Amino acid sequence: MTIPARIPPRRLAMPVAAVAFATVLAGCSGASETPTSDTPDAEPAAVQDVVFALKEDPTCLDPQQTSMTTSLNVGRQLTDSLLDQDAETGDIVPWLASDWSVNDDATAYTFTLAEGVTFSDGTALTSDVVAANFDAIVELGAAASLASAYLGGYAGTDVISDTEFTVNFSAPNVQFAQGATTMSLGILSAETVAASAEERCLSLVGTGPFVLDSYVVNDSVKIVKREGYDWGSELRGHTGEAYLDSVTFPIITEASVRTGGLESGEYDLIQDVPYIDEARFAGDEYHLYAAANPGVPNAFLVNTTHGLMGEEAVRQAITKSLDRDQINVLTGSVSGQAPTSVLTSSTPGYTDLGDTLAYDPEGAAALLEADGWELGADGIYERDGEALTFTVTAFYAQDVLEAAQIQLADNGIDMQINMVSAGDFFGAIATGDYDALGAGLTRTDPDVLRVLLSVDGGSRWAIAEDDELEALLQEQAATVDTDARQAIIDEIQQLVAERAYVIPTLETVQLHASSSSVEGLTFDSAARINLYDAVVVD
Amino acid sequence: MRFVAPKVLQALFVVWATYTVTFLLIHALPGDPVLAALAVRAGDAATTDPEVLDALRAQYGLDGSVLHQYVTHFLALFRGDLGVSMATGYEVSDMVARALPKTAAVAALALALGFAGALSFTIAAYLARPHWLRSTISQIPPLGIAIPAFLTGVVLISVFSFQLGWFPASGANGFSSIVLPAITLSLPTGAVFYQVFSAAVFEAGDAGFVRTAQAKGLSQPVVIGRHILRNAVLPAITIIGIQIGYLAGGTAVVETVFSRDGIGRITVDAVLARDINVVTGVVMVVAVIYAVTTMIVDLLYGVLDPRIRTRVAAKPRARATTPAGGADA
Repeated sequence: MTIPARIPPRRLAMPVAAVAFATVLAGCSGASETPTSDTPDAEPAAVQDVVFALKEDPTCLDPQQTSMTTSLNVGRQLTDSLLDQDAETGDIVPWLASDWSVNDDATAYTFTLAEGVTFSDGTALTSDVVAANFDAIVELGAAASLASAYLGGYAGTDVISDTEFTVNFSAPNVQFAQGATTMSLGILSAETVAASAEERCLSLVGTGPFVLDSYVVNDSVKIVKREGYDWGSELRGHTGEAYLDSVTFPIITEASVRTGGLESGEYDLIQDVPYIDEARFAGDEYHLYAAANPGVPNAFLVNTTHGLMGEEAVRQAITKSLDRDQINVLTGSVSGQAPTSVLTSSTPGYTDLGDTLAYDPEGAAALLEADGWELGADGIYERDGEALTFTVTAFYAQDVLEAAQIQLADNGIDMQINMVSAGDFFGAIATGDYDALGAGLTRTDPDVLRVLLSVDGGSRWAIAEDDELEALLQEQAATVDTDARQAIIDEIQQLVAERAYVIPTLETVQLHASSSSVEGLTFDSAARINLYDAVVVD
Repeated sequence: MRFVAPKVLQALFVVWATYTVTFLLIHALPGDPVLAALAVRAGDAATTDPEVLDALRAQYGLDGSVLHQYVTHFLALFRGDLGVSMATGYEVSDMVARALPKTAAVAALALALGFAGALSFTIAAYLARPHWLRSTISQIPPLGIAIPAFLTGVVLISVFSFQLGWFPASGANGFSSIVLPAITLSLPTGAVFYQVFSAAVFEAGDAGFVRTAQAKGLSQPVVIGRHILRNAVLPAITIIGIQIGYLAGGTAVVETVFSRDGIGRITVDAVLARDINVVTGVVMVVAVIYAVTTMIVDLLYGVLDPRIRTRVAAKPRARATTPAGGADA
């Protein structure tokens, strides 16, 4: 077991960079006024080219294959989906499909495609192309793990006509409608779908409002406006072509360079503003864009078959000993909020369980004492000579774990942090050798709880072994009626929070910033960026 | 030939030993590289299904016994086949071919700037009077290695990119993008050169032949150029091989700060992702470059300094000519 260093290297780098910038920028208050284009036109917003600094190489641009946020932020601009989802209400509306319906047991979805949609290579969007997309995703399997999870139980697509088709499933798949709104199930051209997985990563053709112009690995991506685009969903702010002529995405791995570049005007937009720098961009000269990742918030995902995690009183004491508001202040974004359920507040179907997840150290102490635990000399509870300790295995957000660790120690619970690489994190999952994992799971449908907790879940990280919960998880996945399903999902959230199978710590926020000359950046329901409505103003 | 052959063998040994150590280190690490690569590609949707993992292991040549992998991967090196990156799906040889020229450009300029800078400081220090001024000048170059490249890079970006706008803060397009990274790297490189230069120059400066030259009335520039620097160049060339090894590591920091594609950057990414084919591939390419450079430097040394060539060559010849020599005596 590795004992982690107290200060993660990136955090350490931050003050160093900040000092450097403060020294240098001290004398140049007007630096952020520098125009990015070479021709400062008299006419406002004549130049609609923006530079959007990404934090890492997208590696694979194909939105069906990747689940990397950075890559999806680019892929979203290139592809459209069959349906679209209102990020506020969770309502699902038509997009590439002008009409859709689902049968009673959610095993068959019938879509009618909108007229006149073409791919950027000129070919038409037809039922056959959509069918080829879904078939290819299932064939890609592990290479398209997120997309194939949305297509769970896929049993082929029946093409009825050029514009009409039915997607069949061998078992109820309620979350498919939501999945069909994501870029993971974005529709690619027949030629792209037929290419190899590796080729698709570098070059792809969609129906989206932007077209891939170039991708230089580890350097930059450039997309340009799709001429003649006119099939945005009703959720978008305008119709017709995108406002921006081109978007260049340089890949800037160093956060202090991204923030410095935004201040100097080298970049118009930057991805992933460190929370610590948020205040710098709160003024009128900048816009901040924040959206909480939908799905399960950053949490302790417990393994009830391991160590003390099998004891409900212990788990409940842990959840009551966490002051989530304080964790959010210490480690979260100013734009974020403390988690108040086992789903984030931005997830459709979220229910406020603030009372269940309230900070209640007395309640925690009472639970533990009733279970035979006594405070030891070192301030940690003991029972029969055994200390109240558990280990959280994680590969990111060490600061969140440390904040929780301090709070738990104050309340007599010893928490050990086991920071590992991403590979070793999944290695722990593969072997089941962990008390709890420190992680979140980003999905846009409340079905994420089934994915996380059910025996047949694709990412069964929290091991509950609870028949009552299992039955509910299966039931929601097969309930088509929205209200009936919501009632079950409410019940699941309550049960998971109460029995503390998932112990939330922080809602992770996607935080981006732009100069005030760029407006209209929006988030889709998966907290990924949509640039269709973005525009440069004067 | 007798002089060259051992040097070639030595270079080959370095390459083989590097491969072996790298292989052992990578395989001694706990954890599953296939899972690590999947985690990069699929994020929180990564699968842990054993069947899928086995299939991927076979696809990337990670199945079979350790000895089998050791031999097959080593033989593949000679075909120029470095395997496929598990995290990105690219051919490792393509990645290296893409990144190497970009890194080489920065490293070459850094080496040249470091060399020139160290030379200037050495001459300035040598000529400086009084003593306190000489000491002050001598203390400056070590700062180059004392200040972390990360900090230098960030400061250079703030001043010359963000404030003055002379050079781009990122990217690998054109000569202007090389300048700041090369300056950043030239500081530690120059500091090392300076140590070697100054030691040699000050030693030569005290030597009898310099005093003789000065007594003869030769001008200061002639004395420095003809008698002192020539003696200082040899040790500097010797450490070029070591410097290249350092530069290979230094580019990792610089390429991250300047967001440049390059060998250092792909190495960092590969190590983080446990992308073992890429790590092995990059290490082998750097090892070959290092071994070849050292070999060339060794050979060059013989050319520049005839004493060395004769010393090596003299032994066998002496044995072969013993009878004749005896006759002479």
